[in-house]
Formats: sequence, C-alpha cells, structure tokens
Amino acid sequence: MSTKPRSEMSLGEKMQSVPKPILYLVLVLLTSLPLFKELNVPNKPNEASEDFYATVMAVPEGSTILIQSDWTGSTRGESGGEFESLMRILMRRKIKFAVYAAGDPQAPQVVKDSISRVNDERKLSGQPGYKQWDDWISLGNLPNAEAANQAIANNVQTAFPGRKAIPSTGGSPQDVFDSPVLKGHTKLSDFPLLVVVTASNTATIAIERYAGKVKMAQMVTGVMGPETLNYYPKQVVGLVVGLKGVYDIETLMEGGINTADPHTIKDDNGKFQGKSVEGFPGELNKGKATRYYPTLHFAFALLIIAVLIGNIGMFLAKKEAGK
Amino acid sequence: MYSSLPPPLFANLWLGNQYRHTGWFGIVFVLTMVAFVLMNIRRAKTGRNLYIRRIAGLNAIDEAIGRATEMGKPVLMVPGLSANLNAIVMQALNIFAHVTRIAAKFSNPILVCCNDAAIFTVAQEVIRDVYQEQGIPESFDPDSVRFISDRQFAFAAGVSGIILREQTAATFFLGEFFAESLIFAETANSIGAIQIASSTQITQTPFFIAACDYVLIGDEFYAASAYLTRQPILVGSLVGQDWSKLLVIVSIMVGIGLNSFQRINTKYDKTWKDGQEVDAPEHTRKASETFTYILLNPQTNANDADIPAIKLRPEDKRPELPLNERVTKTDAEAPK
Amino acid sequence: MNFFLDIPPATFWNNPSGSNALMIRLALALLIGIAAIFVLLKAPTNYRRPIVGVVTFLSGAFYVMLYLWPVAISRNKGIDAPRNPVEGVAFWLDDAVPVVANFTSIVTAFLLGLGVYSLLRVHGRKVMRKETDWVFSVVLLSSMVLMVFAGYGDWYSRLDPIKAPALELRENWGPINYLRDVLFEGMLQQMDAAMFSLIAFYILSAAYRAFRVRTIEATILLAAAFIVMFSFMGSVEAAWGHMVNPSGNIDNFSNNFTLTEVAKWIRGSIQKPAIRGIDFGVGIGALAMGLRLWLSLDRTGGKS
Repeated sequence: MSTKPRSEMSLGEKMQSVPKPILYLVLVLLTSLPLFKELNVPNKPNEASEDFYATVMAVPEGSTILIQSDWTGSTRGESGGEFESLMRILMRRKIKFAVYAAGDPQAPQVVKDSISRVNDERKLSGQPGYKQWDDWISLGNLPNAEAANQAIANNVQTAFPGRKAIPSTGGSPQDVFDSPVLKGHTKLSDFPLLVVVTASNTATIAIERYAGKVKMAQMVTGVMGPETLNYYPKQVVGLVVGLKGVYDIETLMEGGINTADPHTIKDDNGKFQGKSVEGFPGELNKGKATRYYPTLHFAFALLIIAVLIGNIGMFLAKKEAGK
Repeated sequence: MYSSLPPPLFANLWLGNQYRHTGWFGIVFVLTMVAFVLMNIRRAKTGRNLYIRRIAGLNAIDEAIGRATEMGKPVLMVPGLSANLNAIVMQALNIFAHVTRIAAKFSNPILVCCNDAAIFTVAQEVIRDVYQEQGIPESFDPDSVRFISDRQFAFAAGVSGIILREQTAATFFLGEFFAESLIFAETANSIGAIQIASSTQITQTPFFIAACDYVLIGDEFYAASAYLTRQPILVGSLVGQDWSKLLVIVSIMVGIGLNSFQRINTKYDKTWKDGQEVDAPEHTRKASETFTYILLNPQTNANDADIPAIKLRPEDKRPELPLNERVTKTDAEAPK
Repeated sequence: MNFFLDIPPATFWNNPSGSNALMIRLALALLIGIAAIFVLLKAPTNYRRPIVGVVTFLSGAFYVMLYLWPVAISRNKGIDAPRNPVEGVAFWLDDAVPVVANFTSIVTAFLLGLGVYSLLRVHGRKVMRKETDWVFSVVLLSSMVLMVFAGYGDWYSRLDPIKAPALELRENWGPINYLRDVLFEGMLQQMDAAMFSLIAFYILSAAYRAFRVRTIEATILLAAAFIVMFSFMGSVEAAWGHMVNPSGNIDNFSNNFTLTEVAKWIRGSIQKPAIRGIDFGVGIGALAMGLRLWLSLDRTGGKS
C-alpha cells in the first residue's frame, strides 16, 4: 500500500486506501437505516430450513423434546432469533421441553430471559404463558460438553443426578424427572427430537455423541453453517443457519410449506402433493430476523461495493504505473 | 444383503451393541490408524530420517521474533479459548515453548495470555521451565504469563488492549479460536505486527487468512511441534497420521468404485418390511442397499427410514433381577 | 439442606443418602485422598513423572474401555441382570459414565476458585501498589464482587418454596432480582453483543484490504463469495430468479441458474468436500495427539 500523502496519490491508489473511519461510518449509517423504516424483503426458504420446520411441526402435541442451548447475548441476533422462533412454535403446539446447556454457564439464564420475553408476547395476545415445571424445565449447565454429551447419550436421568426444581404450585424442591415435562423420560430415545441451538463447536460435539441415538435438528450461527452443513441431512435432519435461516423460519411460520417434489402431480386444488406443512397465519410470527434481515442486505451490499472499489483501484493503479 | 456380507467375527452372546452387524468396521479402522501412529513412532526412534514438507508459517517464527527484537517490542502468544486443558492447548504450549526458547536467547520480552486458570497454571510452568533450561531463570517474569478472563469477549477485549498498549511486534494465535479470531487479527494488523495464526475451528481459518501473514491450516497445527523440534516421537506420529490419511483416501476411492459399480450394474431382489428383509421385485439398488452403505451404517440411525432398527433377537434378552434386588429409586425412597 | 444427593438406581458408584454404606465410602475416599497427597508430596522427583503417567493412563483408559468394551444391548437399568462377566463389566462401565462426567464438573468448580484467586491476586496487587492503570483493576474487582453478590442474592431468593413460583413474573421481583437483571441482562449481555458486533467492522476492513484479484484462484474465490452473498440477499435473489426463470417452475432447466441453486451447488460440491477433507486431517491429528498424551509419549515443553 502506498505511503504517499493522500493529496499526491493517484485515483487508483486513493481507491485502494479509503480510510477505515470512513468505511466504518458508512457501515454504521447503512445498517441503521432499517431502524427507521420497516422494509419487507422477499425470501425463498432453503431446503434445510424447511426440513427443520417440518421436523418440529411433526412432533406430536403434548410430547417433550430436549433442547441444548449454548448461546449467549453476543449472538442474540442469530441465536436469539432462532431460539425465540423455536419457542413460539413449541408453545403454539403445546410441546413441552427440557433445556440444558453444555457450553456456557451464562446460557441457562439467557434461556430463561428469552422464554420470559416470549411469554410476555403471548400474554399480550391473550394466550397463556409457559410455566416452569408444568410446561418446561431448566436442567442447568453441564461443563465440558464432551463428557456431558456422552453422559446424556448414555442415560438422560443419570446425567442430571439430583437436579431439583420447585413445582409451579410451590412447595419443597422435587426431582425434575418427577415433573410433568420429564416424567417417564430416561433415555434419549424417549424424546422424539433433540434441538441444539448454539454458536460454538458444541454443535459438532453433539453430533459426534448423539447421532443415531435420537432425531436431531440444529440451529447454528452463520459462521458454524459450513461446518454443520456437512452433517445435513443424515445426522442432522433439519438445519437453520444464521440470520437467513431465522428469516426462513419466520417466513415458514407465516405461510407454511407447500413445495413440489419434482415429478409429482397437482391435486384438485392446484397444489403439488409434495411437502405440505401448515403455518400460523394471523399470529405474531415476525421477530428478530424480520427486523434485522434488511440490515444484513445493506451490510452485504456495502461489503461487495468495498471489495469492488478496492479491486478497481488496484487495476487503475497498475494501469497508471504502467504508463 | 445381510447374507452376502461376511459373518460377524464373534457370534457370541456377549457381543456388544457397537459390534452388532458391521459395527466392528469403524473400531477396526480406528485401531488401524492407532497402529500406524505407534508403528511409525517406533520407526522414527530407530533413527530413520523421516521427511516433513516445508510449512511456511513455522519457518517464519525466527523472522517474527527477529523483527520483534529489532523493534524492542514484546512477542504475544495466545493459546486459544479452549474451555479446559486439552490436547489442542498442550500442542499450542509446545509451540510457544519453542518460540520462548528463541525469544529468551535474544532476551526479548514475551507475553502469554490465557483464558483459563488451569491453562494459565500449566503455561506458567512451561515458560518457567524454558528459561531454566536456557540457564537464565532470573529472566523469567511471572507477569509475562497472564490469566485475562474466561469469558470470550472479555478475553478478546483484554488481549486487544494488551496488543494496542504494548505495541507487540509479533503475535502468535495458535489453538481453538472462535468468533474473537478476527478481533485479534485485525487489532494486531492495525499496529503492523507480524502474525502467525492457526485455529482448529475450520470456520475461523478464513478470517485468519484475510488478516494474518502466515496461517497454519487444519492439521498443520498438529504437525508444528514435530516440525520445530524434530523429536522422533513427534515426527513418527506425524508420518503415522499421513499413513492414516492415505488409508482414508484409499477407502474413499474403493468405496466410490464399489458403490458406483453396485448401483449401476447389479440388481437387488430384497427390501425391508417391519424390520425384516423380505423378497421384492428385482430393482436397481438404492444407496441404502449397497455394501458400503451397510458397512458404514451398521445399525440404523434414528432418522433413516430405509433400514429399520435392528431388532433384538430372542438370545439378546437378559434375565431380570429378582424383585427384591430390583431398584428404580434408591432404597430410601423405594416403596416398603 | 441435604448435601448428599440420591442418584437412582443404586449402583456400585452410589449409595442411598444417609446410609452407613455411603458414610463408610466417603470416609474411605477421604482417607485415600489424603494419603495419596501425602505420598505424592514425599515421592522423590524422579518418581513423579511415572506417577503422573500412570494416573493419566488410568484416566484415559476409562473412555478407551468404554469405546472398545462390548456395550450392553438395550439394558433396563436396575431391572436387567448381566448374563456373563463381560456384560457385568459393561454394566459397571455404563454406570460409571455419569460419575466420571461429574468429575469434570467438580474439577471445573475448583478451577473457578483458582481463576477467582488469580484475578484477586493480580489485580489486588496492582491496586495495593497503585501500579499503572490501577483504577481499572478497582473497577474489575468491584464489578466481580457486585455480580457475585447480586447473582447469589437472586438465586437465594428463588429457593423459598412459597415465593419462588411468583418470582417467575417480573412484577413480583424484589430489588435483588432487579439488580441481577440490570447487571446480567442489562450490562453483561449488551457488552457481549457490542464486542461481537465489532466483528462486522473488522470483516469490512479485512475484506476491503485483503480481497484483491491478483491470481486466477483469487478471482474464482471472489466470484464464489459474491454468488453466495447474493444468494443470501432476498431481493437480489428474487430479481435474478425472476429474470432467469420467469415462470418459477422448478422443473425448468433455467432454474439451475438461479442464485440459490448455484450457491447450493457451490456449498454441496466444493465447500463440503473441502471441509470434510480438512476435518479428516484435524480429526486424525487430534487422535494422534490424544494417543501421545494418554501414553505420556509427549514431553510438554517440546525440547529439541
């Protein structure tokens, strides 16, 4: 990069050395725009997100699933949106869940706060909130994901020995496996689904230890996407990746799935007889992803423009040097 | 398909869950790789000169420390953000011991930032040992090895602050890095430090490549200690790893050939129904009906609808404990 | 408070809470532990490495045994009996898994104490001696104390069997609950998110600085990156898709040239095999490294 003063630089050299403060200022301005105006962006959900949605929607009502949640406030844009969307689906379908963390001691509290937010949403729309003990239970944090996942794969009940919680009606703490959520669930195979919501490598650690023992779906951040996609669709039946994935889920919650398998025929209503899963029309489906997705657009656009400016500057500088 | 596979090695009652059907294959494969590693360690110990290719990032260590010495600025080392003391951290500390050895020779100050108390304790011992081994124990500054924080971004903030305040001339980021990798790399880049980095998290490698001068990709990180020290054990282990990789490559090629041949050229007249293999009209094999699929998927995984779970045979059932010995709760809570 | 937890069903590794068998085992374990510490302290220096080697080998041997030893098929804990000695050992290993997993929890708890001690020592010394930036050390220590106080206070308030269910609702919170919420959710989580969002700025500056089309490989990399990024942009994806496949029929040949299909091909045919290849290498490297550590073949410090 040239060390000449900016006034002596050629156009190509200037384009290659835009000061960082200018770049950052433009980024701040562009990503702040969607805060002031709601923008609707068209979306076509991808196959992995559709499979995730279909898998969760196929879980029988009233059953209990297991959730491993290892995310914290730092990834709340992606993981927070993923978790809240999952909570909305589970609560609407009256599916109970037990949630534990195997990666971060902050995670259980973050989960409680997130569930509390979704509960507040439900109360505003006149729906009952989810109660701890009756509808969901927190199993706390198990340090060392490798050993914890191994113990859970071996036997869920003995992996959480002596874990107690106060019932929703009050009274002395009781074993969580006596709660309505976990009664009769001792092995992984007792759960129809395990969902891993994470921003770290606990996604692959879970796959190594749980694959084949339980049906598993995952919600990961964009950075973990390429690594986790290797395991889709065999070890991981459904995968939500990053902010786009959350936006896919919110889109599917709004409109459901009605996709065509190739070479299938239309029924009398003109719909293809491929995958068809209902959505939740008329309910609050838009969450974090709908608010943040336009921001992602602007950020990507700026990134592409910055790279193009740098490369055009490089070619111009080469041309000027050649003269 | 069952009938065309070789019979299980031990058709006994005590055959475990992981050996059912073709489950032995994965374990034999792993044991073969272990044998390769141990065999080559033995070969290297006999004095054979085993070749390791040049790794640019490791050749640049001397250059990086030399630059730091010229500038009179410290060398920063970060062994990653492992949650606990594991093999990756030990590998990183081995490399840092080598870096410290060179820095100690030139009396160049070093800084090691740790995110875990256990790692901090071990790192302190390792670095102290290096100075003692060099005959200059008095040059070791206990404050050069620091425990910053075990919280990811608190650690990132702390290390970035150290980079900017101390104006480190050379930085080594080797180990398990996650989202904070780019924060470290860009901060060091902003002050013009020479950077050598490696993350065992593949997803962070592109960030290091964009911002660092030298990057060790994938298992070059594990090859580093063998490359630097040339200890026979480490070199032998590295050659054993390479043999294992060759085994994997050969298996993949054989598998591709076999799978392609079976699916294109052979017909199949069985199918699955209610967990049993039953006769079916002759058809071209599906992926789940090939030899390689069954070899690598010995028991159905919970998601696979093609081959249902292998059911228990009558001889798999075991006797029940007498009623008075049977416990599902502890004795204190069991009904009297 | 009942310190001794019941872990049903009773196995070799546990005993009912309050029973004589449990007390005897605890006393024996304590005696053996104290004796072991005494022996280790008195052991000559040249015996220490073999002792560490033996302990490492036995610790690692558990998981190796778990991997290799025949695992009992479909066992009903507490109901099924082993058929032969091999299955007996399998049952014993199976029962030990959660116990061994708990060892890590216990060690982590001790390490937490070690971490706190380390922070107190380093920053306490800075404050006492008024070294450079000692004010920040005061901020760190007071934040730590405040968070511990608020966290414990909130946890303690939720132990009350009568008031605990009511605390699920924000309107029933007391001052200590609000304090914990302000410190954890209001400050810590926001600061975590702020630090993470720095990465957006760094990605922009790194991409602007580093992505230069100097070689053919760099050009291909850049083109692939652009395609994948555009496929994440719904508006661009929709506009391109409309241009390339106006009818939207997925059976059309032109559908293969929509951004999502091209990006799917890049991810499926190029990215996945590359990552799998690197994963194989990293996995084998970790296996070799683990083997060397287990058999104590590695000398930490890597002498030349």
